[in-house]
Amino acid sequence: MENVIELQHVHKSFDGFQLNNLSMTIKKGFVTGFIGGNGAGKSTTIKLMMNLLQPDRGTISIFGLNYKDHEKEIKQRIGFVFDENIFYENVTLAEMKKIIKPAYVNWDDNLFHYYVKTFELPLNKKIKSFSKGMMMKASLTIALSHHAELIIMDEPTSGLDPSFRRELLDILHNLMQDGEKTIFFSTHLTTDLDRIADYITFIHKGKHIFTKEIYQIEEEYAIVKGGIELLDKDTEREFISIRKSNHGFEALTANKTRAENIFGGMALIEKPTLEDIMFYTKKGEEHYV
Amino acid sequence: MQIIISNNSKGPIYKQIYAQIKKHILTNELQQGQSLPSMRQLAKDLDISVITTKRAYEELEKNGFIYSVVGKGSFVSEQNNEMIKERKRKVIEEQLVTAIQNGKEIGINLNELKELLTMLYREEE
Amino acid sequence: MFNLIRKDIVLHKKTLMILLPILLVYLLLGTSSIWVGIVFCIAIIMGVFSSDEKSTIHILLNSLPYTRKQIVSSKYIGVFLFTFIVVFTIFIGNLMIHREIIPWEDLLFIFGIVMVLTALAFPFSYKFKSQYLLVASLVLFAIYMIIVNLFIKNLNDRIREFVQALLNLQSHQLYLSIGFSVIALYVCSWLLSIRIYKNKVF
Repeated sequence: MENVIELQHVHKSFDGFQLNNLSMTIKKGFVTGFIGGNGAGKSTTIKLMMNLLQPDRGTISIFGLNYKDHEKEIKQRIGFVFDENIFYENVTLAEMKKIIKPAYVNWDDNLFHYYVKTFELPLNKKIKSFSKGMMMKASLTIALSHHAELIIMDEPTSGLDPSFRRELLDILHNLMQDGEKTIFFSTHLTTDLDRIADYITFIHKGKHIFTKEIYQIEEEYAIVKGGIELLDKDTEREFISIRKSNHGFEALTANKTRAENIFGGMALIEKPTLEDIMFYTKKGEEHYV
Repeated sequence: MQIIISNNSKGPIYKQIYAQIKKHILTNELQQGQSLPSMRQLAKDLDISVITTKRAYEELEKNGFIYSVVGKGSFVSEQNNEMIKERKRKVIEEQLVTAIQNGKEIGINLNELKELLTMLYREEE
Repeated sequence: MFNLIRKDIVLHKKTLMILLPILLVYLLLGTSSIWVGIVFCIAIIMGVFSSDEKSTIHILLNSLPYTRKQIVSSKYIGVFLFTFIVVFTIFIGNLMIHREIIPWEDLLFIFGIVMVLTALAFPFSYKFKSQYLLVASLVLFAIYMIIVNLFIKNLNDRIREFVQALLNLQSHQLYLSIGFSVIALYVCSWLLSIRIYKNKVF
């Protein structure tokens, strides 16, 4: 399968933060959800993918091309959405379009007007008067109007009301129909991912924890709930981390089958949510470091 | 083709799709050579991810229920339905024999067993 | 890249439409067209520059299919365009109001000074921010005043005389060498700005 984004051994450090030997690949034709806590490095990774930042070490290639020689070619094929307003504030959406349109070879005015209509956006109101939700819709409109092959979005669903989030997921489903497009987006609203994401990439403290097919996660990971008496030195080792209370324990394992063999019948074994995985991974790091 | 996904069910979504399409094929609701919706279309219709429908289709293909033609999509394979039904019937017979043996061990008679079967059968509907 | 310059014009259309008539008013009042020209050029150029300075705008421009080199270069080329607009307005204005043709040396002088000033201002603004430009010029002005008051009392007059002498000189060789120095300074500044901007983090 073809990779649209490839990061290899990428290092990037700032004051008090670093991405450490980050390697990941994003597959063509699929939706990859990018999760991780605050400060895990999601925005930094996205900026690296957009060449807004350059890695200290390591290589980044998009569509198999590098930014050094093919910057414009790559960016022609990307649609981007950031979680803050990146447009000029004192202009209208119509003027903003006038500014951005000439940058893209494949700009499609019909598509632009289609989304403006679908999202009920005002063309002649100043962008600074837009609400957060409208801002996001405007960003999406611009991102989707030049037939981009790769859509990169940083927290696109934050600030959107639930009904529009559903609508957005429908739009993304439609985009995916021809199998040629790839979507990569970061989010902390993990419920959105069940509906659309094919792969989940999880990073924590600048490190890549995993990229997996979404169904694989529920095949491998499990939440085990049971009485404290089940825990001893050996059984505790089965878990990424454990939450104990007076009434029992809850823990996350990355090896569901083993857990079923060990605890089968004595404990509850449940499907974890992505939030569970993030929570217990974070807790595990704190505990062992 | 009707497919209903339960989010509360314990089974993974791709298994639910697999089971339902398989049932449609075995009951002849989907007929030999008939085309299935594309993975992407089905994902959109069911509001789930493409990789999930892809996995379900892959399993169906592996077990010979469907085949796919590059660029054209997926189709229902030629089913030797009689043979499949025959095989299934054998499995059922074996399972029932075990149930009868277990029943005899603790003295359950034929009528009681029938009642139990009827009850369980209705529960499953 | 010309799309980027076009973008600056679209964004500042209104400002230009307000500023240019004011420029004509100054001409009507008989203010020195050279100094008015320089002030208006710098005001417009720095206004255009500062509207792109927000980090979110850097993110936008760098996410669009442009290279950093192009983003910087568009500003350096834009300088010529905006200076040309101002100079053209002055030329036409003078022709209509005073019925006189401004000597081409004066117009070139405006170009030269604007180029020198932007050559200094742009790398500074890319490195820091154009807001600090005001602080920097105040500091420079203070130093200048100190020099004028303490050391060379008649510096103002000397500069005025020098400029006058320069404009009256008919030596083409001198013009040429000054012209070359200005262009060299401008090109160096251009390359320096590209270098600074390439390493910028948003």
